[in-house]
Amino acid sequence: MSASGRGRRSKVAALWRLGVAEASAYRASLLVWVLATTLPLISLVLWRALAESGPIGDYDQHGFDSYFIAAFVVRQLSASWVVWDLDRQIRTGELSALLMRPVHPVLHHAMTNLSALPLRTALAAPVGLAVLLATGGISITEDPAMLALVVPVLALAWAINFVTQLAIGCLAFWLTKAAALYDVWLGAYVVLAGYLVPTSLFPAGLAEVARMLPFHAALGFPVELLIGRLSVAEAVAGIGLQLVWLVALGALAALAWRWGLRAYGAFGA
Amino acid sequence: MADKPAISLARLDKRFRVSEREPGLWPALRALFRREWVEVEAVRELSFDIARGERVGFLGPNGAGKTTTLKMLAGLLHPSGGRAEVLGFEPARRRPEFLRRVALVMGQKRQLSWDLPALDTFELNRVVFDVPRGLYAERLDEMVELLDIGEVVRRPVRTLSLGERMKCELVAALLHGPEVLFLDEPTIGMDVAMQLAIREFIREYHRRHGATLILTSHYMEDVAALCERILVIDEGRLRFDGSIDALVRRIRPLRRVAIRSGAALDDATRTGLGALGQLADAGPSRVALDVAPARVPEVVARLLALPGARDLEVQDAPLEEVMRELFSRRGELDAGPGEEGAR
Repeated sequence: MSASGRGRRSKVAALWRLGVAEASAYRASLLVWVLATTLPLISLVLWRALAESGPIGDYDQHGFDSYFIAAFVVRQLSASWVVWDLDRQIRTGELSALLMRPVHPVLHHAMTNLSALPLRTALAAPVGLAVLLATGGISITEDPAMLALVVPVLALAWAINFVTQLAIGCLAFWLTKAAALYDVWLGAYVVLAGYLVPTSLFPAGLAEVARMLPFHAALGFPVELLIGRLSVAEAVAGIGLQLVWLVALGALAALAWRWGLRAYGAFGA
Repeated sequence: MADKPAISLARLDKRFRVSEREPGLWPALRALFRREWVEVEAVRELSFDIARGERVGFLGPNGAGKTTTLKMLAGLLHPSGGRAEVLGFEPARRRPEFLRRVALVMGQKRQLSWDLPALDTFELNRVVFDVPRGLYAERLDEMVELLDIGEVVRRPVRTLSLGERMKCELVAALLHGPEVLFLDEPTIGMDVAMQLAIREFIREYHRRHGATLILTSHYMEDVAALCERILVIDEGRLRFDGSIDALVRRIRPLRRVAIRSGAALDDATRTGLGALGQLADAGPSRVALDVAPARVPEVVARLLALPGARDLEVQDAPLEEVMRELFSRRGELDAGPGEEGAR
């Protein structure tokens, strides 16, 4: 490996260590975040009750258990919070400190976000385990090919969330409260991602549209893949869609970042 | 290339667009639909060079453009026009090779992770700035000792006092041995003892490493103690470039000569002294005259000849007074660069 490659690897490792240290310092707020993202478990209880007298669409009670527990897990593993950090750092000028280091601020954020995921997962595990015990378990795909796809699909889901937040966070270069705009995105996410209702249960027409959107690519698709509801062809198409959204939203984020840096400082940074 | 300036500015401009509205509910509602923008010229056609190893202070009132200039030199802000060059780099491109050779310390901002000990940030900087381990340990030990923060660096940053935090900020900024150090109000809000400690440390760092230093501060003492050259910036323009002594003499060309005398002055003596300069004080036991520098020896001789004369003092006007006067006389002091010989 070249010297510069080694240098880059050690930088990534250093950012990871800092991120882990920060996550441990913020463990209480991390736990609050976990609890704030338990909506799928509430949906689980509701849909389970509704499905008592018979399946709804192609979901029976056990199907809902599997779907919403998987949704909770995917939500935890694809979590990012760069939009709030970036919004604050741009408004207060804290971003300057990151800009003075010879490592890209976006890499800094990516690593500190990713490095908190293991601890976040550990904090979420007892919640997930309790639900698992209460419901009597979930079924996940038994197809080894699909299982092999779970990790890359989750990574793409995380990346889609990250670049979306990055693009919206960069609006803070021009707007006073960019994070508020993310709440709008989050509102659409809750409805369209399959967070409250599996998108396959949406009315015909709406379902097809919803399943094309980035919200679904970031949550519903990985969940359906994990619980074995997709054919190989559907999985490949879904990954293709994930890549399209990642590239499109990533390009938007890159543009917003570039232009934003030129505007940086207008708010007394 | 030793004589190439470390920093070079040519007609550097920075304009900001800021929204503006009248106070009150109605203008607030109207601003939701139609914002009124005004263009603020923060820096206008600024040109100067700074040599390697020079210690330069930016002085000016709030909003004069000092910090904006500093941030353009550090690469944080993109200039609206003109050219800035630092160590041969265009700062706004923020090339890694450039960032590894400069540092910025801001009294009101922090780079240290709030809930972690400062050592964690130091360690991160060691890696991202590619500082060899041996050199890192050496520099860290040296600075920790100079600043007396052996225990402090192990505590979460949020528990530190303002002064302790700034000491750690300085260490974090200097671990990679920057050749150019930008300091924006490094002692803001600190007590006198802490200001002194920080100032001494910066001075020592410069002595040992010969870095180029650019400082903005509201505390005249900082600038007077640290900087051999002063650039006065006001309304985005360069108003003065020279030593602190030259600045004082330009604003207050007269020097004050004071003495204690044994007896009250008689009218003849008073008139005689009045002819040499402006009589600032002619109390029963003290005489003070503001005189042109060339006449100081003559005036000193005359005052020493007074009956019972003792405690002779010759001084420049206090710096704070000079600055107050400088900024109240906006526009009058249009000193171009290179006003060294203003006496």
